[in-house]
Amino acid sequence: MTPADALQAWLALEHEAVWFYPVVGARLDGLRGRATTSFEAHRDTRDDLLARLRDLDIEPVVAALAYEVGPITTAAEARTVAQRIESQISAACLSLVGLVDGDTRTFAVAALTATAVAELTWGAEPKAFPGLP
Amino acid sequence: MTRRVLLGTGAAVVGGAAIIGGAQLTGRLDDVADAVGLDPKPEPDPRDNRLVGRAGASAAGLLATLEATVARHPTMALAPLIDLVREQATAVDGGSAADAAPVPETPEEASRALEALFSSAASDRATDCGRAVSPDLARVLASMSAGLAQAAVAVRGLR
Repeated sequence: MTPADALQAWLALEHEAVWFYPVVGARLDGLRGRATTSFEAHRDTRDDLLARLRDLDIEPVVAALAYEVGPITTAAEARTVAQRIESQISAACLSLVGLVDGDTRTFAVAALTATAVAELTWGAEPKAFPGLP
Repeated sequence: MTRRVLLGTGAAVVGGAAIIGGAQLTGRLDDVADAVGLDPKPEPDPRDNRLVGRAGASAAGLLATLEATVARHPTMALAPLIDLVREQATAVDGGSAADAAPVPETPEEASRALEALFSSAASDRATDCGRAVSPDLARVLASMSAGLAQAAVAVRGLR
């Protein structure tokens, strides 16, 4: 996997998160505030990744119209999906960490920490090694 | 890539080097490494060895402090965080005894002190990740940093 591949894989997951959290906020009043916070964080990360890829003269992957994430009709279902998305983003960040250095590695580590902490806010338990299988 | 990779690229090589003692590791671990049950691995960069050592010492200190805290404040639900830090310590060969930080008198103060320790350790591992030469070690240090950041949030939730 190249750094560009890793950035694209991460961006694809950010697209999914940016689609998912507004759906949660729209459907579940009790989670609206938390979903808004998560949406804003992932929107900012998505925009950063788009800029980084364009700086590399790489056409970024585009978002899907919708994502098949399973049912989101209860808070418990939303939390489960949110934890899955945050966990997958942690893994994507970690893949990039080993492929780059300097500013891009620092960016990936900061994003990994942010998404690992976000996973907790969606009900996950702390892990010794977030992002690792 | 799993956390076991570290055992194949960082900590185990460091541990293997300690077992081997004065044997010089030139380029690859040799037959001596095989004799102690290690697969031949590329010699780790000395700077990476130092980062693994720092992570191990930090984890050992955190573990000692957590155990001292729960001994003084048994009502604090620290078992999951003790398990987390013990798992990290095992991965980076942080099994040595370490001094515990002073434990504050009240559980709330102890929680604040632990949060500060976890946050500081998370920051240190993130910084060390930026210095790591081995890609696998960089990943493990980054992951440890994220886990410690989670622990800081979790211990805040005890207040």
